[in-house]
Amino acid sequence: MKSLSDRWVRNLNNLWTVISFSLRNRMRSKAFIATTITIALLSTIAIQVMYLVIMNPFSNPDRIGFVENAAPAVTGRLTAYYGGQEKPLIELAGYPDAGSPDANEEAMKERMRGGEINGYLEFATDGLFPKVTYKSERPMDTGKKSSLQSALQAIKADIILSDANLTEEQRTALAQPVRIEAVQISTAEGAGSVGADGKSEEEQVFAFMLVYIVIILLYMGIMITGQLIATEITAEKSSRVMEILVTSVAPLTQMFGKIIGMCLLGLTQIAVFGFTVAVNLMLPHTREMFRELNLDLSSLDPMLVVYAVIFYVTGYFLYGTLYAAIGSIVSRTEELGQAVMPLTTISMVAFFLGIFGLSNPNASYVVILSYIPFFTPYFMFMRIGMADPALWEVLLSLVILLATILLVGWLSAKIYRTGVLMYGKRPGIRELRKAMKAYKA
Amino acid sequence: MSTLQVERIVKQYGDKTAVNGISFTAEAGEIYGLLGANGAGKTTTMRMVLGLIMPDSGSIRYHGKPYSREQLRDLGYLPEERGLYPKIKVSDQIIYLARLRGVSAKEADRRLKEWLEKFNVPDYYDKKVEELSKGNQQKIQFIAAVIHDPSILVLDEAFSGLDPVNVELLKAAVKELRDAGKTILFSTHRMEHVEELCRNITILHRSNVVLQGGIRDIKKRFPRERVIVRLEDDGAIEGLERIPGVRSVEKRESGYEVRIDRTDAAQAILDHARQQGDVVRFELMEPTLNEIFIRSVGEELE
Repeated sequence: MKSLSDRWVRNLNNLWTVISFSLRNRMRSKAFIATTITIALLSTIAIQVMYLVIMNPFSNPDRIGFVENAAPAVTGRLTAYYGGQEKPLIELAGYPDAGSPDANEEAMKERMRGGEINGYLEFATDGLFPKVTYKSERPMDTGKKSSLQSALQAIKADIILSDANLTEEQRTALAQPVRIEAVQISTAEGAGSVGADGKSEEEQVFAFMLVYIVIILLYMGIMITGQLIATEITAEKSSRVMEILVTSVAPLTQMFGKIIGMCLLGLTQIAVFGFTVAVNLMLPHTREMFRELNLDLSSLDPMLVVYAVIFYVTGYFLYGTLYAAIGSIVSRTEELGQAVMPLTTISMVAFFLGIFGLSNPNASYVVILSYIPFFTPYFMFMRIGMADPALWEVLLSLVILLATILLVGWLSAKIYRTGVLMYGKRPGIRELRKAMKAYKA
Repeated sequence: MSTLQVERIVKQYGDKTAVNGISFTAEAGEIYGLLGANGAGKTTTMRMVLGLIMPDSGSIRYHGKPYSREQLRDLGYLPEERGLYPKIKVSDQIIYLARLRGVSAKEADRRLKEWLEKFNVPDYYDKKVEELSKGNQQKIQFIAAVIHDPSILVLDEAFSGLDPVNVELLKAAVKELRDAGKTILFSTHRMEHVEELCRNITILHRSNVVLQGGIRDIKKRFPRERVIVRLEDDGAIEGLERIPGVRSVEKRESGYEVRIDRTDAAQAILDHARQQGDVVRFELMEPTLNEIFIRSVGEELE
């Protein structure tokens, strides 16, 4: 009994030694440091560019001139409207009447030349509300134009209705634009992120973004770290350090040490990415942007994050063990690319179908694929984020996935045990089986 | 109780027999030689001793106990094709390998420094393996095999590709380990190393044992059939080939090398030479291991 537990402790010790060795060597490598810094920089730049595009903090408000006595009812209300804003897009500047329309126009042009104003408004009598013309050298930004338009729309209603004896409440109600709110609701108690209260449009957008990001991360993580596992194992084989390793540590320990080490490496990079994004989102000006977009970070369902981690790790292990098995039967690194091709293809197909399915998460092919182990990490996670699968569906897919991982892990370990000692031409399935028997793997 | 006891181990790959019933025992403080041409089954035998592959039949006992995962820690291995991580620092990988075999990092570090000192290369501690010359990589490889202080050491072609200075350095290290009571299984093509180091040997040919035993005994089994004779001032000796029992005569730098069929022909050669001048060198040579090797392997071939 004691020796058994001793052996366990020893195996765990060795596992930890292998994990920390492969992790440390990778983390110190220039490639790792460079990609990590790139990830942090790119995510920062992406968020800040998004801020610049959406919030446009450096644009000054356009100064728009008008003749004071041309349409005082309109311009007075307009000045008051923009004057009341904290950061108005438009500033209005009234000028005294120069006498004739021609003289006014000349004076305005002169002011534009001097840079005093960007353009000016002309009002022509047209029924109850004047016809408004904006004259400038350059066309107005669409954002500013639509702002001006909606302001004038409200003023028009205000002027026309001023005689209609409306209450303040009616007036406000009238000024409000019509909004259609789309709430996604759950008809059964599902495992998805659609709670009992339903999911608002903003939350749906948020879930979409998260699912999208997680699917990309999963794909990249599996591709990059999977290739790394295979490359390292083949390199150990071709440099023959493998012969010493297999006499020092059980192949199973060695293989899973490497897989876990690379998993931690991938997670470290994702953590760096997540941390950078979080820091960027915490900055006051980006928070303002999210408020503007009606996106609330707190509307993120924590369960979705938990599922993201579960599916990342399970998906990684499924593919990672297979990458290890392939790495073990290849003798030279040059042959590796070709050998991992089938695996890379499956991962790629799953990824692209997953991205494709995002727009229609309830399609029957999405539901079917979410039970097929190689697709489950992408598809079941997408369904949880975007649709509303029942809890038993999620659990069933996870059970199938875990069972497959065990099976594939066992098979990979056998292949690994045999493959690491086979040199020369890459063995076929029959040769591998023969060798397995010979090695009593 | 022998440290290493191999009994009639057989290994087959498909219909090809790689090792066919080899038995030998090696004691503590002994270097056991395993000789054979390429493909004779040396590496397969060593791999079985290392537990990398299991024999189809027969048994291997270590200190009287059968193979187990635990025994691995008591084995050190220097593979024929050298294997180290090319891009990792010497200290990092040696300490890693030592830790996998249950040595603490601190202890491994101490031993590594000691070994580097012994091999006159203390500054390699911080170098990457790819920066070292082949001979120096070999030293590191050797340290990797012994860093966990195993009682059984398997050295496959330990001295191949080394310059004479480094061969002496490693040879001294191997002898030191032998004197410290380690059991060393040693394979090589270089017969002079075997003659210098090994007490007992096994010669393998095509998966079979063709010759086995102590080097002294083996040599006694083969007749002495080579005579070296030389006169003062390298004087010529006429008519050697006419002496009965002489097979061939060859003039070399060291004198005349005469091959004989019968041992008593040697005395006749000496008498014959004396009549023609002062003999400064006369020796009835033992067969070299090289000759024995070629002969036993060659006879098998016929």
